[in-house]
Amino acid sequence: MLGANSKRGAKENSHTMLQLQLMLPLLRKEFLEAWRDRRALIMAVSFALLFPVMIAGGSTFMIKKKAEEVTRVAVLGSAQAPVLAEKLAGPGMEVVSLDDDEPRSLLGEGYHLVLVIDDEFEQRYRDFLAPSLYLYVDSTNTSSGRAQRQLQERLASLQQLVVTQRLVARGVATQVLAPWKLEMRDVSTPSARGALLLAMVPGILILTLFVASLATSVDTSAGERERLSLETLLLQPLPAWQVITAKMLAVASLGWLGSLMSITALVLLMPLMPLAELGIQQATTLSGVVSMGLLLVPLALLVAVLQILLALRSQSFKDAQTQLSILQIAPLVLLMALDMAQVSLEGGWQLVPLVSHQQWLKDLLVGEVVSLPAVLAGSAVTLLCVAVAVLLGARALRRESLLTAA
Amino acid sequence: MIQVQGISKSFAGQPVLRELSFEVPDARITALLGANGAGKTSCLRILCGLLRAESGQVLVGGVDPALDPQGVRRQLGVVGDREGLYERLTVAEYLDIFARMQGLSGAALKSALASVSEELELQSLWQRRMGGFSQGERMKVSLARALVHQPRHLILDEPTRGLDVLAVRLLRRTLLRLRSAGTAILFSSHVMPEVAELSDRVLVMSQGRIVGRGSPDELIAETGCGNLEDSFVALAYGERAPVAEEVV
Repeated sequence: MLGANSKRGAKENSHTMLQLQLMLPLLRKEFLEAWRDRRALIMAVSFALLFPVMIAGGSTFMIKKKAEEVTRVAVLGSAQAPVLAEKLAGPGMEVVSLDDDEPRSLLGEGYHLVLVIDDEFEQRYRDFLAPSLYLYVDSTNTSSGRAQRQLQERLASLQQLVVTQRLVARGVATQVLAPWKLEMRDVSTPSARGALLLAMVPGILILTLFVASLATSVDTSAGERERLSLETLLLQPLPAWQVITAKMLAVASLGWLGSLMSITALVLLMPLMPLAELGIQQATTLSGVVSMGLLLVPLALLVAVLQILLALRSQSFKDAQTQLSILQIAPLVLLMALDMAQVSLEGGWQLVPLVSHQQWLKDLLVGEVVSLPAVLAGSAVTLLCVAVAVLLGARALRRESLLTAA
Repeated sequence: MIQVQGISKSFAGQPVLRELSFEVPDARITALLGANGAGKTSCLRILCGLLRAESGQVLVGGVDPALDPQGVRRQLGVVGDREGLYERLTVAEYLDIFARMQGLSGAALKSALASVSEELELQSLWQRRMGGFSQGERMKVSLARALVHQPRHLILDEPTRGLDVLAVRLLRRTLLRLRSAGTAILFSSHVMPEVAELSDRVLVMSQGRIVGRGSPDELIAETGCGNLEDSFVALAYGERAPVAEEVV
């Protein structure tokens, strides 16, 4: 009896081995088909590289813009208060003393602000009569608000200095005027500041998984159905789950490599980006790239099989393209909604595919450590979803309407 | 041998096959003749296990495709009504992949590939990708894929559609060789001269039923028509088509 059971077990094992061996040529077919599809490859590579280039270009532009942010102030009547005009000039502020001119025309000639010093300024200042300063501003200019704030801060600090000097000259302790002193302390670390800039990166990396594999997932499912080559495939002695699995692996390979290419390009471009000037240190290293790549494997499989499932359910190739284009936006919308709703993504959220991946990627991007048990548990849940989706896909392949609709 | 016993099938409540029964004996070429919508393709898909009959039974070499579809597919070669090729694969890759999916490997695989390449004159196409192949070339590759594992049963859905004379001759020669080797061959067609010349037995289908069966000569004799085309019209539509003499 025992011998018969062990014989049966051995037979079943060899049958399973044979089935898996038959899957290898199917895998080869799917990979050759996927990786020779020039249109799909161009789409995957373009999107994968476009995004890091955009980030690099965006940050350089931000720095350049910041460097160019010099407030230009024209001072009319500076002879009345030459020291004042001199003290206003400093980093980020260019002060030009001019003779009498029309403030409106000066504002139109590239000056952000025009400060007019009253004709009686010197006399009234000496007499402690609070002489007037007139500030001309064009509020329709987008930079005027920032320039105005900057100038007012400088004038306030100069005013404080004069008051202090006057009180000291009269033997009054300056502390009387200042019951407290407010000092700003920025406690953000360079990594955390980096996280602010790179906050959108995980979402876009996940989007790359979708976009890079879209064309292949449509081609291998709805496309094959329309060309009737799916029927030829289903006529082979292979179980339907193997057909779906092979297709999923080929589709996922494109999505995953697209994302990996994005991450690698981003990390390679980081030294060329003026991150230090934005107060960001490069926290992502090669090991970070490898970790991110590994984390994305289960998600790439899930994205691939979901896209195939949806494409198999659609009426035609074009219908599949439309439906999948909508699907691509869904994860971004979900992640943005969670972000906007300020949901605390602790505990159970760490098991939710997409949400957990976004969190892990965010942490790795700024050089923080992710919890291994959380990653293992989250990945296991994602792989479980993959297994369920494969079974649903196998069921979809057995649907008669799949062939009769073609 | 393929045995079909009382199968019925409907789509969205519309009957497509009604109590269909027939046999496809070994070493014989059986033609399934019917107008568009007669149910030929549905019938062939049921034989392959792609569709399930609502009633009745099918046995392909003694195996029921509804119970063991993979068992049936190992002993079937099928050429569908479109070739189902992969345009980004070369002929060599395509045939190698499908032969391996049928369990061939090593020397057996090499020999099988060499054999179909020679028989279907594929040498000049062997390393070419299949995108842009002519209809005849596509049919040859598709037939090679169906034959590479030397199936005991061969099913072809309108195999001569769109083929030129040379391709038809090659197909004819191949089918005759397979018949002599004992293969049970079932093919559907619209082309009467082809059916008359190739088939040992003809099954005439109309509205999901077999309305006539026998050799081409037997059908002609049974209907009293002058040729197979007229016999088909008489059987399928219940009317006697005008023969040449009457037209004159």
